[in-house]
Amino acid sequence: MWAQILEQLINGLVLGGIYALIAVGYTMVYGIIQLINFAHGEIYMFGAYIALMLIAVGTPFWIALPLSMLLCAILGMFIDFIAYKPLRNAPRLSALITAIGISLALQNLARMIWSARPRQFPSEVLPSFFLSEVTETGKVINAVPLPGGGILPFRDVFIFLLAVVLMIVLNMLIYLTKIGKAMRACAQNQVASNLMGIKTNQVIAATFAIGSALGAVAGIMVGLSEVVTPTMGYYKGVAAFAAAVLGGIGSISGAIVGGIVIGIAEVFGADIHSGYRIAFAYIIMILVILIRPSGIFGKATSKRA
Amino acid sequence: MRDKLTPRNIILCLCICSLPWLMYGIDGIEKLLSAYRIDFGWPGGDYVIRILVRACLYMLLAVGLNIVCGFTGLLDLGYVAFYLIGGYTAGILMQRLGVPYWFALPIAMAHGTIWGLLRGIPTLRLTGDYFAIVTFGFAELFFRIIRNEQWLTGIPNGQLRGIPAPSIPILGITFDQNWHNYYHILILLILVVFLNYRLQNSRVGRAWVAIREDEQAAESMGINVGRYKSLAFAVSAAIGAIGGAFIAQFQVNISAPFFEFWESILILCMVVLGGMGSIRGAMLGAAILGSLGEILREVLTRFTDFPELAGSRYLIFGIILILLMRFRPGGLIYKKT
Repeated sequence: MWAQILEQLINGLVLGGIYALIAVGYTMVYGIIQLINFAHGEIYMFGAYIALMLIAVGTPFWIALPLSMLLCAILGMFIDFIAYKPLRNAPRLSALITAIGISLALQNLARMIWSARPRQFPSEVLPSFFLSEVTETGKVINAVPLPGGGILPFRDVFIFLLAVVLMIVLNMLIYLTKIGKAMRACAQNQVASNLMGIKTNQVIAATFAIGSALGAVAGIMVGLSEVVTPTMGYYKGVAAFAAAVLGGIGSISGAIVGGIVIGIAEVFGADIHSGYRIAFAYIIMILVILIRPSGIFGKATSKRA
Repeated sequence: MRDKLTPRNIILCLCICSLPWLMYGIDGIEKLLSAYRIDFGWPGGDYVIRILVRACLYMLLAVGLNIVCGFTGLLDLGYVAFYLIGGYTAGILMQRLGVPYWFALPIAMAHGTIWGLLRGIPTLRLTGDYFAIVTFGFAELFFRIIRNEQWLTGIPNGQLRGIPAPSIPILGITFDQNWHNYYHILILLILVVFLNYRLQNSRVGRAWVAIREDEQAAESMGINVGRYKSLAFAVSAAIGAIGGAFIAQFQVNISAPFFEFWESILILCMVVLGGMGSIRGAMLGAAILGSLGEILREVLTRFTDFPELAGSRYLIFGIILILLMRFRPGGLIYKKT
């Protein structure tokens, strides 16, 4: 019983790390331009597919990962440039509808290019320590044995550690570098930071790039542990958005905490009823929006329009 | 600024709506269609009527969504929830409990209204994207419930088979032909559109638009914002439920994938295409996209080797949304304010 709970808790943490990576992309964009970037889930899906394609043409995994991040960063900036930038001064509803349009277009583009068939990363091209198994003699390969007979694959350890490292790097970027300072300034007051000589459009583009690159990592991580489908962005994307809302939208540490809470809630929710797996994330999200729209870490503003 | 409901407009609408049907009645056209059926394997001469029924149904739904999205200016991403509630309420009542359609329809409407209010009242203070995401979550929860709760429908995945056709016992008519359903939905549509025009030109409609333009100003002018918003949610939900009840008996078999999230986006796309806040616009958008989607699906599945391409019509809808927001945010029927 306890061993099972421990195992699920670890699964939840790993999933939560992935959610945190995606949620950061939502929360950073929302912090600066107050837009739910619905297309972010699709960027994350593209990250997984781009890595799949790169690996299919023979790129080693360790090169495919940063290359996919780079391409997704470009995709994110491109979306911002063609779709969101012209709408900076338009009503908020227009930008939101555009975001839905992009999400819809990208998802179906992926369906056209790669078909709806679920895909997996071919195991032979992955680093060898990803392939964990328990041999007939009871020897555990590439995994940590857990009490109660379960195993914790090195793959999951890697996913979680990578998420943690990326979060630390992101925090350093935001609090220690000049572009990070510019981002924080833009999040506080865009007009004022523009007057202070910060090129807000470039800062916004950089935000999209960073968020998209992290989303790409999350996509590849999901591809490693689950399957890659054109609709993966829509399901996981909204759950990650729930994480961002729960943590307090605009707050990066909130996104991390929210991601882990949502991840654990989803894993334990799946134990209760597998059909409602993702529904638990939605329920948490709705309750948070209705009861405490500012989330755990968000500043209590009177109105979050 | 307001659309006028003159007799000329009504007659025009009626003519436009029934023109292809009248054409269908002409022998030559029917022969032409049956020739197509042989050539391309299109599903029968009733094909045109089925498209028209769909277009009318989407017009009804778009007009319903337009109340929340267009009049009160709140982005509703979960309209499909009411469509689903209406469909399953009517479907379960008719198929499992044997209730006649004419009772099931108002019950479905009432049920939709209740959920519209239950969803609407807690979200009264939300606007913009938070409202949108809550409505999305709400619709998604309903979708999960119908998929997982087998006791509701008896078959997994929310399937409901063999919903009986409505009948009028006094006249001895059973609505089992496509053209029956065509007039059925046309009458429902006309009633709903009439109601919408009456609402739009009334105190209620003006209050809704005032809320959209500036909620605080509206409140300070003495408009009870909460009450009028709730009314908008209720009316909109009831119209969605009418659409659901209709589709349940029209399709005979319904299942959960009918009411997926993308259906909401499709209806939203119709409203945006026509121009949010305009009843005529919503109907025009629905007529274009409702029939375009159906035709594209047929053409893409018949003439290409990739059945997946049929789903790609949503790619076109997505691009339409992006381009409209960029170049013509007021929609096709542009109103200067």
